[in-house]
Amino acid sequence: MMSISVLEALAHFKKPTLVVFVGLAGFVAGIWINSTYFGDASPVQPIEFSHRIHAGENEIPCQYCHVYAARTPSAGVPSVEKCMGCHKSIATDKPEIIKVAQYYAEQTPIPWIKVYDVPDFVHFTHKRHIKAGLECQDCHGPVDTMDRITRQQPLRMPWCVDCHTKKEVENGRDCLTCHK
Amino acid sequence: MSNKINRRDFLKFVGAGTVGAGAGFLAADASKMSTEFLIPQVNLPEDYSPGIATWYNTVCTQCSAGCGISVRTREGRAKKIEGNRSHPVNEGRLCALGQAGLNVLYNPDRIRTPLLRDGERGSGSFSPISWDEALTTISGVLGTLKIQEKANNAYLLSGSVHGHLNDLFALFMDQLGSENYWQHEFSDPASLYAANKACFDVDVLPFYDIRNSKYLLSFGADYLGAWLSPVHYGVSYGHLRQGTEQRGRCVQVEPRMSLSGANADEWVEARPGSEGMLALAMAHSIVEQGLYSGGDAGDWKQALGAYSPASVAERSGISADRIVRIATEFASASPSLAIGGGAAGASTNGTANLVAVNVLNHIGGNIGEPGGILFNPASTFSGDTPRPRASYQDMLNLFESLSRDDAEVLILHDTNPVFTLPSSANVTAAVMAVPYVIGMSSFMDETMALADIILPLDTYLEAWGDSTPDPGVGFAVASIGQPVVKRLYDTRSAGDIILALAHQIGGELPANMPWTSMENYLMEKWRAIYQSKSNDSSAQGFREFWSSILESGVWGERPLQPVRPHQAMSQAMLSAMRMAQPSFAGNEGEYRFVMQPYLSLAFQDGRGANLPWMQELPDPLTSVVYNSWVELNPKTAAELGIREGDVLLVESTAGRLEAPAFIYQAIRPDVVAMPIGQGHGNYGRYASGRGSNPIEILAPEIDIDSGGLAWSATRVIISKTGRRVHVIKTDGTTRELGRNILGQEHGHA
Repeated sequence: MMSISVLEALAHFKKPTLVVFVGLAGFVAGIWINSTYFGDASPVQPIEFSHRIHAGENEIPCQYCHVYAARTPSAGVPSVEKCMGCHKSIATDKPEIIKVAQYYAEQTPIPWIKVYDVPDFVHFTHKRHIKAGLECQDCHGPVDTMDRITRQQPLRMPWCVDCHTKKEVENGRDCLTCHK
Repeated sequence: MSNKINRRDFLKFVGAGTVGAGAGFLAADASKMSTEFLIPQVNLPEDYSPGIATWYNTVCTQCSAGCGISVRTREGRAKKIEGNRSHPVNEGRLCALGQAGLNVLYNPDRIRTPLLRDGERGSGSFSPISWDEALTTISGVLGTLKIQEKANNAYLLSGSVHGHLNDLFALFMDQLGSENYWQHEFSDPASLYAANKACFDVDVLPFYDIRNSKYLLSFGADYLGAWLSPVHYGVSYGHLRQGTEQRGRCVQVEPRMSLSGANADEWVEARPGSEGMLALAMAHSIVEQGLYSGGDAGDWKQALGAYSPASVAERSGISADRIVRIATEFASASPSLAIGGGAAGASTNGTANLVAVNVLNHIGGNIGEPGGILFNPASTFSGDTPRPRASYQDMLNLFESLSRDDAEVLILHDTNPVFTLPSSANVTAAVMAVPYVIGMSSFMDETMALADIILPLDTYLEAWGDSTPDPGVGFAVASIGQPVVKRLYDTRSAGDIILALAHQIGGELPANMPWTSMENYLMEKWRAIYQSKSNDSSAQGFREFWSSILESGVWGERPLQPVRPHQAMSQAMLSAMRMAQPSFAGNEGEYRFVMQPYLSLAFQDGRGANLPWMQELPDPLTSVVYNSWVELNPKTAAELGIREGDVLLVESTAGRLEAPAFIYQAIRPDVVAMPIGQGHGNYGRYASGRGSNPIEILAPEIDIDSGGLAWSATRVIISKTGRRVHVIKTDGTTRELGRNILGQEHGHA
């Protein structure tokens, strides 16, 4: 009778060691389960806004809504007033648009959930990156195909430095360029 | 190991796997960023972009100097205040109190809604009401007075207010039918106005051209501390010292060394009140030496005959040789300038002292000369009502009429006379005697607590206004104050309140005061200025003119002709000149020390005490923070057995207070000094219950010629209470202790 090969391979380990192995395997599995099924890369937003419809189908330029991207560190989320600028007359009967209208009527901001964020000790500015000629999609991915935004990059430091190095950014590897 | 996995092992594996998976899940969760929100604006603001600073130019009203300021705002919030570089008063510089304007705006003790008294009068118990209710109540009271033709029983007492808001106050009271509009300011230089009026027949202060002077002789004027326009004089002082190849010389005459004294080349420790005599002795010496160039030298020789340096030496405590030496230096330096103020102008002979300083300038040939005294042109602003500056005597008269039966209403605007006048003036009793008291202020203070109804004011960073600096800078200059942020609370500006009241009172008031808001009123007034000056302006139309002033923060016109001194001036001064001996409250034998309260740049007359940045700013000379102190000469301290930190009882004929001792080398042994500003009883969390207020115990001595309070004419008794406290200061010791800091081989500190 054949015995199960894994057990045979493990046979010469002591049982406590095996317990540790199983624990570690569980740990890795836990991380995988969390990031696969409970990830924060694509949070559910208070309004089911679709970039696919706006940026994709209707070909609205990014900076029409994200007005500050070329001028300031933050790209800026459109004001509720801006949404209503079009949606006073467009698709006013859709349930999600009714929600927007309600926010505007109550003069309350829509609490969008951040998808892309860097820690407070990182000095990031959109203005510089747009001035350098990057496309929004270079970092944010094919936004024009997404209904709900999914984060494409975790925005970790190696990824930043990698790009700075490839593009030979002046002072791109200097600590103070980003940490100041 | 046996390769059998028994039930017990199986359970162990399952347990380990589960715990591991759980830990992994949590670890992954912990490495995630916490959920953050992107909160958009509901309506897109037109005037800023997030993350980008917007600077607004406006004007500082922390004191009367009228410096231009540039306020850095981000996302609609004021973040930093700096001096406006194009403003001729401060040329980009700003003092600590100006910087602390943010503490005014964001002060947690601001009054946020209109308040109605709900307890005993003076108990300080108020409850919030709406603006509608407040304005209806007040306009009802004032309207009734007007209909009954008893409006002259309404009084308006304001703090120092310049520009068109002053005009508006005057117009409102006039329309109401009252002649009782006054402005009270502790630091108002009543004797300086009186002296300049007597000598030069001018109603505005002259321009002291410290910048271009080569020899600055100051009689008690702490021009680097709190005198008139300290930032302007600070910039000018820098130029005097280092602006040209020839370094200007500074001499400071005062019984207690101020910041200006510490920066001077020579400190002349004259007796309090003898400054004028000293100036005349110097003038005497100049005339005697034949250094006076005027044609009427004979007249002056005769007039100054009684003031020979030898005869003045004993009365001033300064030797005749020294008087002659300084006089000679003063006459030979060109240009030279003598200024007077502070304690020299706050003796019982204050105006006479300052007239004497003007005489010295005249004898030294400094009047109308660059680097000397220049005259500000008469203001060219339309309807520029003179400010109804109340001297101490005026205030006493006012309190007397308030105590009479027919006084009906008192409106208090931005002033705190309970704190800034001696207790002998009985301010509290006078205010309490008025049946209805209306307060307008951003903060609760000792005087506002006596009101029946309080209207919360915008701070100067939230309101429209304008300002013409006095003293001017040699040419007409004005600034418009614009709101740099939206108002934080349910407050209004004084101008808006007055206009709203005028509309509600009705009668002919709405027709004569037709403006819809302070902003509208200011624009209309400036439109008139523009129309009268349109030839001088390159602006195309009023809109451009207006926005260019708002953008630059300042408007000025240089005079085509410098204002020349009057021909008859020498004669006017001859007749104005007379020397009275100073008198002091309290006999010299018992009350041994002359008390010199002094203004600090940080607190001014106490208004800065509720600003935490000012509380933690060390005094520039003693380095003490957070408290009051009494400065004593080391000799005096040794004689009385007093050490630093001994709590002293300071008694005058008018009252007593306690404060810890501070041993100060640079003060006459027969003088003690105390800073003004602390000692508040009801002025918010940062000021209340801290230190003591020297103004409180001042005797009601008056400068006879101007009616101003002679605040350096009180004698005191000093005694130890036996208690000791630790004086909080940033300095260790004022002694050198062999550290050779001065770089001398045998330095003695």
